[in-house]
Formats: sequence, C-alpha cells, structure tokens
Amino acid sequence: MTANPLAQTAVGGTLLSNGLLVAIVALVHIQIATYITGSCTIAWVSEAISIARGGDERHDRLATSIVRSWAYIFAFGSAIGIFFVMLVLLGFWGKFFVALQQITFGAFFFESIAFLVEVALIYTLYANWERLRRYRRARLGMLILLNIDLFWQMFFIDVVASFMLTPNGGDANLLDQFLNPSNIPLTIHRTIGNVAWAGAVLAFAGAFQYLRASRGLEPAAAPARAGAPVRSVGAMDADEAPAEPPEVRETRHWDWVGQWGAIWVVGLTTLQPWVGYSYAKEVQLHAYPAWYDMMFGDLSNVFLFQLTLLGTIFTVGTAYFWRRMKASGATHHRRQGVIAILLAVVTLFAAQPAWFAWTYADVVAQGLARPWWQGGLLNPIGNFIPYKVGALFALVFLGLASVTSYMRAYSRDEMKPGRVGRRNQGLLLALGVVVSTMMIVMGVIREHSRQPFLISGELTIQHQQTLNNQPSQLGGTAR
Amino acid sequence: MVLGTGVGAGLVGVLLSIPALGFLLSPLFIKNREYWVTVGPIDSIPVDTPTPLYAFVPSEQGWPTPSQPRVVYIVKQADGQTLALSNICTHMQCDVHWDQALTQFLCPCHGGLYDILGNNIGGPPPQPLSQWVHRITYKAGTGEHILEIQNKLEENI
Amino acid sequence: MRTVRDARIALRRARARETLRSGYRWFDERTGAADLLHKGLYEAVPRRGGWAYTLGSATLALILLQLFSGIFLLLDYVPSVEEAWPSLNYLETQDPFGSWVRGLHLWGAYTLILVIGLHALRTFLSASYKRPRELNWVTGSLLFFLVLGLAITGAMLPWDQASYWTTVVVTNILHYFPFIGDGLRQLWRGGSFVGPITLTRTFAIHIWVLPFLLFTFIGAHLYLLRRHGEFGAWVNYDTTSDDPDKEIAHRIRTVEPPYPTKRIERRYAAPNQTDQFFPNQIFKDMLVSVALIALIFVMGRAAGAPLDPAADPATLTYVPTPEWFYLPLDQFLVLTPGNPLIAVGIFAIVGIGALAFMLLPFLDRSTERRPIRRPEILIPALFVVFAVVFLAMLGVNRLYSL
Repeated sequence: MTANPLAQTAVGGTLLSNGLLVAIVALVHIQIATYITGSCTIAWVSEAISIARGGDERHDRLATSIVRSWAYIFAFGSAIGIFFVMLVLLGFWGKFFVALQQITFGAFFFESIAFLVEVALIYTLYANWERLRRYRRARLGMLILLNIDLFWQMFFIDVVASFMLTPNGGDANLLDQFLNPSNIPLTIHRTIGNVAWAGAVLAFAGAFQYLRASRGLEPAAAPARAGAPVRSVGAMDADEAPAEPPEVRETRHWDWVGQWGAIWVVGLTTLQPWVGYSYAKEVQLHAYPAWYDMMFGDLSNVFLFQLTLLGTIFTVGTAYFWRRMKASGATHHRRQGVIAILLAVVTLFAAQPAWFAWTYADVVAQGLARPWWQGGLLNPIGNFIPYKVGALFALVFLGLASVTSYMRAYSRDEMKPGRVGRRNQGLLLALGVVVSTMMIVMGVIREHSRQPFLISGELTIQHQQTLNNQPSQLGGTAR
Repeated sequence: MVLGTGVGAGLVGVLLSIPALGFLLSPLFIKNREYWVTVGPIDSIPVDTPTPLYAFVPSEQGWPTPSQPRVVYIVKQADGQTLALSNICTHMQCDVHWDQALTQFLCPCHGGLYDILGNNIGGPPPQPLSQWVHRITYKAGTGEHILEIQNKLEENI
Repeated sequence: MRTVRDARIALRRARARETLRSGYRWFDERTGAADLLHKGLYEAVPRRGGWAYTLGSATLALILLQLFSGIFLLLDYVPSVEEAWPSLNYLETQDPFGSWVRGLHLWGAYTLILVIGLHALRTFLSASYKRPRELNWVTGSLLFFLVLGLAITGAMLPWDQASYWTTVVVTNILHYFPFIGDGLRQLWRGGSFVGPITLTRTFAIHIWVLPFLLFTFIGAHLYLLRRHGEFGAWVNYDTTSDDPDKEIAHRIRTVEPPYPTKRIERRYAAPNQTDQFFPNQIFKDMLVSVALIALIFVMGRAAGAPLDPAADPATLTYVPTPEWFYLPLDQFLVLTPGNPLIAVGIFAIVGIGALAFMLLPFLDRSTERRPIRRPEILIPALFVVFAVVFLAMLGVNRLYSL
C-alpha cells in the first residue's frame, strides 16, 4: 500500500467539523422525513376509522391536523434535504458523492421520481383537504397513494444507505444493489420505525397541547358521559358531545391524541427487537468489521445505551398506560403496573455490559464454546450474549402484553377521557424525547461503525476514493 | 342386534386392516438391500484436500431402478487416515460442498458449516458429517488402494 | 307449516314448480331438483360487504381448477424415478399447450394458497367462527392444512432437481419427531434414502389420499355453512333504531332462512338486511372467481411452470430452495439449530401454533364479534401474521444474498 500522492482530505475544516455538519443536517432531515412518512400511515388509518364509523370527530380532527402540519414541515425538510445533497455532499464530499452516484444512479433516479410525486400529492392534499370533506373516500385514496409513494421513496434511499454498509461486491447490477443483503431488513426496520416515531411525535404533541390547554383547569372536573349509547369503541360524534366548555373539549382531544400516539409507539416498537436483530445479523454476515465495532468494539457502549433507550420506550409507555388506567379506575390497572415493573427489570437486565472480551476466539479460549445448556455461551440464536437474547424476547412479549392489556381496558369503555392529569403528561413528553434520541444515536452508531469506509470495503473517508486514485470499481481488489 | 352389528363391523375392520397396515408399514420391516460399490483408486488424492468422487448406488427397497450417483468426499489426513465422508448435511440432508475460500464444508440450505474432518462447527447442523461405511483394499497387482462404499452411512443422520 | 314464513316459502316454491315446462317437470318429479335448487339459490345472505364473502367460493373454484388441470397432467405423467422427468419434459416441450397446463396447475396452486389465506383472515376478522359456527372454522383449518400438504406433495412429483431435494428435505423433517421419527422417515421414503418407493407413495398421497380428505371436508364445510347461514360481519348486525331489542325481535321474526339458528346470541341471530344468494351474491362470487381464473390462465401462459434439470443426488452446486409459502417455516429451520431444539422448533412451536389456529373458536369463547373489542385475540393474531410475513421476507433476503 503506497501513499497516494493525490490523496486529499475533505475540503475546508477538519474531518470532525465536516462530519458534524453532515450528521446534524442528515439527522434533522431523517427526523422530519420519518415523521411525514409515519404520520401519513396514521392519517389514513384515522381517516378509514372515521369512514367506517360514519364520521368521528376526533379522528377527523387528527387527520386534518396531520395533513396541515405537513405543509411547513415538508417544505423545511425538503429544503434541508436539498441543502444536504447540493451543498454538503457535493461540496465537501464531492468525490465520494460522485462515486456513489456512478454506482447507485438507478436508485437515486427512482427516488427522485418518488420525491416529485410526493411534492405533487402533499400539496394537492393540503390545498384541497377542506374541499374534499364530503368525499372522504377520495381523501383516503390519496392518503394511501401518498403512503405508497413515501414507502418507495424510503425504499430507494434505503438501497443507497444499505449499499454503503453491505455492498454486494463483485457484479453489482441494479437488482443486486436493490437486493443487497441488508436492504430488506433495513426497509422493514424503517417502515415500522417511521410509524412508531410519528406516534411518538403525536404523543409529545398531545401532551404538550394538553398542558397548554389545561392550564388552570381541574383535571377530573367533567364526569364521564353516562347513559349515552356508545355505538362503537371510542366513537365520538359531534352531535353527541355534551355541553362542555370548549377548553375541556380541547383537553379531552389532546389527551386522546396523546394516548393514541402512545399506542402506536409501544405497539410497533414491540416488533423492532426482532427486526433489528435480523438487520444486525445481515451486517454481521456481510460487513463484519462494522458489526464487530458495534457489538464488541468501540461502539459497544453506545449500543448498550441504545438498548437501554429501547427498554425505556417500553417502560415509559407502559407506565403511562398504567397511570391512565389507574386514573380511570380500570379493572386491571394493577396488571399494567406489573408489566411496567417487569419491563424496567428487563431493561436493566439487557443493559448489563459485557463482562469480558467477546470475540469467538475469546469464547473458545475461555473454554466456553459449548451450547448454553451445557454450561457454555453458545446459543442457537446466533451465539448472542445469552441474557441479551432473553431480554429481547422478554421485551417483545411484555410489549405485546402491555398493548393488549391497555387496548382491552380501552375497548371495554373503562377509560374515562381527560382523567389522567397534567403530571402524567410528562411521561408522554419523555416518550417523544426518548424515541428521538434513539433515532439520533442509531444514526451515530451506523455512520461510525462503518468507518473508515464510506462504502464498506470500497471507499474510505480519508481519500474518498480507493487508494490508487481510481474511482471505485466494485469487484476490484484495490484497497 | 346392535352388539352383533358392532362386532361384525369391527371384525371386518380388523381383517381389512391387517394386510392394509402390513403393506403400509412394510418399509419398516423389509430389510434394505446392501451392496458394496466400487468408488475408485484414491492414491492420487492430495493430503488435506477434500476431493469428491462419485459412486453409483442401487436402490435399497422396491423394484430395480437405475443406480443413483452419490458423492463421497475423500479426505486424506497427514497421519495417513482417510475419511470417506458423505456430503449429506446432518440438518436437513441438503447437498454439502467443500468451499475452498472458506476452507470449510458449506451447506447452502441454511448455512451449516463443517470443518475438514466433517465436524459441525457452525449453523444449524446438530451432528458431524457421517462417513459412508467403507473399506479400502490394496490391489497388489496395480499397487492401487481402491475405495469401496456400502449404500449405508455409519451414523444415523 | 309451522309459521307464516314457512307457508310463504312453500307457496313460492309451488309457484316456481308450476311454471316449469313439462320436460323439466318430468325431471323434477323424479329428482326433486326444483326444491333443491330453490333452496340453494334463494337463500338469504347478508347484504353489506358481499365482496369480502366471495373469497370462500373463490377458494372452491380454484380447488376445482386444480382438479381440472391435474387431470390433464395425469394423462402424461408417470410416477417412476426413471420416467417422471422425461414424461413431464415431453409434456412441457412436445405436447401442444403442455406448458400452459403445467403453468395452470402451478399458478393455480399459488393463487389458491393466497386466497385461502385471505379467506381465513376475513373469517377471523369478522369473527365468523363463534358459536354455533365453531366446527366450520375447524373444518376450514383442516382444509388449509390439506391444501398446504397437497402443495408440498405436488412439488415433490416432477423429480427434477427442485423436486428431488424438496423430497429429501421434507421427508427428513419427519426424523426429528421424538421417538418414532426415524421410523416415520423410513416409512415414507421406503428405505434410508429417497428412492422409487418415495415417489410412488407421494404420488398416491397427492392424487388420492389428500384429495379424498379434501372433498370430504369441503362437503362438511359447505353443509355447515348452509345450515347456519352466512354470518357476514358485525356491520350486518348493527341496530339503527332507539329500541334495539324490538328491532332485533322484528328481524328474527321476518328474516329468510336459514337464519335464525337456535340458541345463538340474540343480537347476532339475524342480519339487518339480506339479499338473495342468486343473483346478487353469485354474481359477485362469479366475478371474483372468473377474474382469478383469468389471472391464472394469463400467468400460466406467460410464466409457465419451471422444470429444472433431472434430479441429481450427487450435485455439489444446487441450492435447494423452498416454495414461497414454505419460506416462513424454513426460517424456523434456520433459527433452531441443534437436535433438541429442532424438534422443539418444528414440532412443538409450529404444532402448538397449528393447534391454536385450529382450535381458535374454543380459545375465544366470548360473544364479542367486533375485532376492536377483542384485542387479546386480535393483537397476538396480527403479531403472528407479521411474524409469518417477516420470516418469508427474511427467507427471500437470505436466498438472494447467498
């Protein structure tokens, strides 16, 4: 490996400051784009529920506010995205970006088409939302179309992101890039995460607005409506609403929005341990240095923190459900409390740091290369650290139990709206913050684990090209 | 009357089922036909290089059908021992092959890995690769060692 | 004539008979066909949601299509290890429309599995398995397993590479069954290795044993459906008036047969609005079935059915790949290594899952039909559906990244 006379570091400033710029811009963009994609799903679900019930005030209002929120957020997010690509990537990371474009041009091409469709649909929906209020099915159809388009947009950018981590090597035609080993797991992971994050935003927004609207109000002032025939669970027609002061109706609405968001977060995050595991498995099989860094190397403590955040999402969400059930006097609120405590215990369990070095060679050296039922450390689910596997299983099942138990109480009309009080909104605020932090940390882990490569095994950061100053030819052995 | 009908029907059932069940369960009781099949000379096979040779094995039960080819991986070790490994994966019996890049036997079905001696070292397989029941005879005339295998594995996999 | 309603129905049938022309009347006198037809065609079905209920008849239509295309395959195919592949190769390359027939049978099978899955999902969501329709669900789930069995045994017949290795793997699964596993494997294979007896036994299972069971259970399934009437979904039982009890009583008094069935929860005894099966529901059924069959004809012609090279037990390069509908189960095999765990993974977990699936009506005995009110059933079921789809996607991903 001779020194490359034409090697250059990134332009302007230190690597750190440029890396930081990319990180900040990319993370803001991701949080916004993820919210839009996820909230689109929640919007059409709310719209569908409203159609099925022949009009439901709360779901209508939620769908409307989501669509309205897109206009500014989407504009800002797109501006950030364009700024990111044009100025940051092309400017500071030009060689890398050109090389990437040469390889994954197809993916970028389809993604930009999806972006154009997204622009058209979002603004059309925004401008005509009120006009279509008597054509509910048209609204629903357009929202679903938008969701499909947003999915494809995410899919194509996932192709690029996953390709950077696990390129196929060898003959990378378009299909090989699209089906690179970590693309499908990453896409599933992000599809679920999108909606979970949107739920977290709703939870945060619901709690925030509740606190604003309930300033000076007694939390449990208005009693639940007794005797009104409930046609379907949680339904609320405009004409059925009792004569409540508008401030109370406001608080009730935001209270409902908060818990609706919380259901999405906890429910969908339940799937993530399994999906995340399969993603990590593909990384282990096809980009081992990155995986090693993440699990056993420099980033392992950060990843441990990530696991703690995951457990915290479940715990805080379930704690919120428990407080809500308790405040409404639901029959099984103690069960929910037990689930919350168990989740806290499991989180602590999962967050235990590794006790000693964990390469396979170390395991063999310690004489522990035996299945766990024979006293060793190998276990069928990929030779994972045993208690972490157990913790992940437990998180999934406890998460399912938590959502089911809450939904059970909710569907039996045991939940009385507006009772949960101001203090417990803090749990929802915490939920939003934790999910956001988790996304940020995940981005940090992903980008750092791949270092020093930009495309694993092909392009390094330092030179933004392979060392012989040729643009990277995939399948070439120049390193 | 009812009892008589029941007994009669039961009797018919039992009588019918004796040949039926007997026939259905026959593969358990019929002995598999065993043959010795010549594989070939193994002198030219290098040490520590699993080399596939093919044996044509007749069917064990039923009517005569053309012999089926089977793979025998010859692994000659430095200490003079020779293994006649089958390439039948001990997980789901898929076709295992020696992967030179990995220097391991790899099963493409679920990623099972075996080392050069056939020990299962990775993935789902629960047991090492089984050898064929084999014998090596030395032919004084040509000076060759001829490998023969039976259509039977040493281990039950 | 027990009630006014019965009298009305008898009168209508008598009138129908009178209008028959003499030839038909001869036939009707000897077979009673008019009554039978009238009962069958003019039964009441719930009005709302008719399109969702077409999946059941679509399943039947696709099964009949499989029977139909299967007969044509039978005219050429020879179940012998020597002749199976050559006979199918002849059918594929030399017979006129041979490849189309094979394509029909393959794509018919794929579509059938998809549609039967959707049908199961629909009946699950509409809670059509609750009292008194539990046995309908049980026979239905048995039919689902039989269809899967037919699919896998059919795949083991062509004796090309894919089929041979499928046979090896599928018959090998049996040997992980505790205690009797090796015996079971020996039974099916006719020896320790796959051989000629394996093929003939599989052939017998595929064209006789399983279809016989299939049609027996289809008969039971349809009889039970007719006995209790099409349930529909909870939307067909909404009350709109201020006095729901009175409305329900009125419905029960005036609804057409076969509603109401006895000893059923009053609220779900009779749908609020019904249509006649003929022509309304039959029209929808026919449209969906014809569309699916047309799709199968197109796919059968365009994509056909693959025929790998002839079976080679000594291959070193072939990658055995399960059919798409077995990918989730295959992932189980990936994730459960080691001897005791394989038995646990395959038989215990999958077995318990299959049993829970079949005995669902006995696990969920509440009278509540709306999905949102039975989250303790809905959420685990959705999780299982997610798990199946997710495992299939992982399977595809793994296969492509080998």
